[in-house]
Amino acid sequence: MKLIDALDIVRQSKQSTNELFEVSLVCGFTPLHLQSFLHARLQLSLPDHRVQIAVGAFNDIAGTLRDLRGGRADGVALVLEWPDLDPRLGTRQLGGWGPGHLTNISARVETQLAQLQALLEEVSRSSTVVVSLPTLPLPPLFFTGNWQSSHAELQLRALVAAFAAECAATNRIRLLNAQTLDLLSPPAARLSVKSDWQSGFPYQNAHAAALAGFLAQLLVNPLPKKGLITDLDDTLWRGIVGDVGAEAISWDLDRRSQAHGLYQQFLHTLAEEGVLIGVASKNEPAIVEEAFGRDDLLLMREKIFPMEVSWGSKAQAVARILSVWNVAADSVVFVDDNPLELAEVKAQHPGIECLLFSPKDDAGVYDLIVRLRDLFGKSALSDEDALRAESLRARATLIAAATPDNAEGFSETLLEQAEAELTFRWEKDVSDTRALELLNKTNQFNLNGRRLTEAMWRNLLAAENSFLLTVSYKDRYGALGKIGVLAGRVMESEIHVEAWVMSCRAFARRIEHQSLRQLFEQFRVGRVTFDYAQTPRNQPLANFFSSILSRPPEAACAVERTVFEAACPKLYHRVVEVSHVH
Amino acid sequence: MYTDDTRSRLIECFAVVFPELSEEEIPRASVTSVANWDSVASVTLMSVIEEEFGVELDAEGLEQLVSFELMLDHLQDAERTV
Repeated sequence: MKLIDALDIVRQSKQSTNELFEVSLVCGFTPLHLQSFLHARLQLSLPDHRVQIAVGAFNDIAGTLRDLRGGRADGVALVLEWPDLDPRLGTRQLGGWGPGHLTNISARVETQLAQLQALLEEVSRSSTVVVSLPTLPLPPLFFTGNWQSSHAELQLRALVAAFAAECAATNRIRLLNAQTLDLLSPPAARLSVKSDWQSGFPYQNAHAAALAGFLAQLLVNPLPKKGLITDLDDTLWRGIVGDVGAEAISWDLDRRSQAHGLYQQFLHTLAEEGVLIGVASKNEPAIVEEAFGRDDLLLMREKIFPMEVSWGSKAQAVARILSVWNVAADSVVFVDDNPLELAEVKAQHPGIECLLFSPKDDAGVYDLIVRLRDLFGKSALSDEDALRAESLRARATLIAAATPDNAEGFSETLLEQAEAELTFRWEKDVSDTRALELLNKTNQFNLNGRRLTEAMWRNLLAAENSFLLTVSYKDRYGALGKIGVLAGRVMESEIHVEAWVMSCRAFARRIEHQSLRQLFEQFRVGRVTFDYAQTPRNQPLANFFSSILSRPPEAACAVERTVFEAACPKLYHRVVEVSHVH
Repeated sequence: MYTDDTRSRLIECFAVVFPELSEEEIPRASVTSVANWDSVASVTLMSVIEEEFGVELDAEGLEQLVSFELMLDHLQDAERTV
């Protein structure tokens, strides 16, 4: 992005009347073009918001962070450079560089970092915090030639690395990945001495643009994809298993098929992180099962669900997998070595991300895996990630056992014998990232489709009359983990629900009925109002309301307790309540 | 034609840095006539011009380029010497 384009985006955004997205940019230098690039990048990522960037005092990072404690900014971006840790590590102040200074510089850097870490900890309790570590080169203050790393320099880098690791361990502070920044902004082309001395802005424009892009990504924290569907022959392994047999397919260095091994290893990693892995392959099921019987596969058979192996259309196989997963195509990636298959799938499922596996292009496969890491990357793993695939398998088992005349899919007997247990947690825990994640990625059982920023979420929970109910589920078929979130406010004589989502993995178990009953019981009210809005995808929630109200819901609909109880089917769950806040 | 192109590109640079100015006001813009033409605006304007025209403006030059007309002259001189 060029500066003129960034300024143009900033100019246009100032005329918008959309909801504010406020970010504090904290840096010791003059923020100048970094501010413009960050504003523009955020604005492009958040077209429904009006971005506003506040900046702190020049050369006073600690003071700025102190002022931000307890604030309600949507995000805080700290951009550190070496002179912020000790002015002698820059070239604008001439405090001396001799060998006698090095120990003192190191000690000062350690003190500064400790202070910053404590402040960041505090700020991150009320705002999303992202941090960029020094990106500019250290000046030539060490006595070694520039081709040699001195002990003093390595000590400084070790201090910064330790600081970064401590910050990242909190989960509330997100660190910019230096390796990725290096790829987009070569280290040798970052510093502008002229600009640093003339205006106090040390970056070349291209570096400021790259840095701002990654900061915006960290602040917006895009949702990861949920599932990956892969082809088998010449993708998961080398060779056509139907032609050469299960023993002749390969994925190792010796048979020049390492790309497939790496791909298998990566898919196994994704599965362990909670990504759904499915297979769509034109093959004989028996020979594929034989191949998966090999004990040297790096992607275990049990990590794959479902396995769609037939001679039918790939697009139809993908449709069946999406149906079993109960996710939209735009949450899924499809990988195949055949461009025609990719085109067919893309034509029938335009939202799906189709990626080519080129088995003869080793570097291309490596790039593909890097790309997949971006698409599936998440800030933190939750307990639910480990349960996702297993619970889908359990759901499929339940559906398979369902009687055909039951509209909801599960028979009364199945529900009765499922030994279902629901845990309701009444706790306004801001650090519960799973609740916000669920709220922002659920489409079908979603009260209004509204997405909340981390700051909006914190503000809602900070309100004195607000409540948060999270719902976890398990039954004899396995645990689903935390699958429901209800949030709203306690009014004088009623409850107003502003957000209600439930994972599609939990459908047809009457969890929504039990949740609503808990709401009535917890607050002892006769009526609950809902901030309902129809969205292109929230028909399942509308169906629930229709079943209770005997008519389609309207915006701001209400449910009377007597009406609910009259319409509520029999519930079989054992209910556990963890804590009370009211 | 070449001059017209330089002029219109320079107007675009001024327009993003001084959005409050109309296209008619920009050719008459100077440090004294534009209230928002402070040091930050000056550095931003120079950076946009450097990027847009692929030129480098030195610090001494900046102090003299205090109006649209002077900048246009400077850029046209630079083009003639290329």
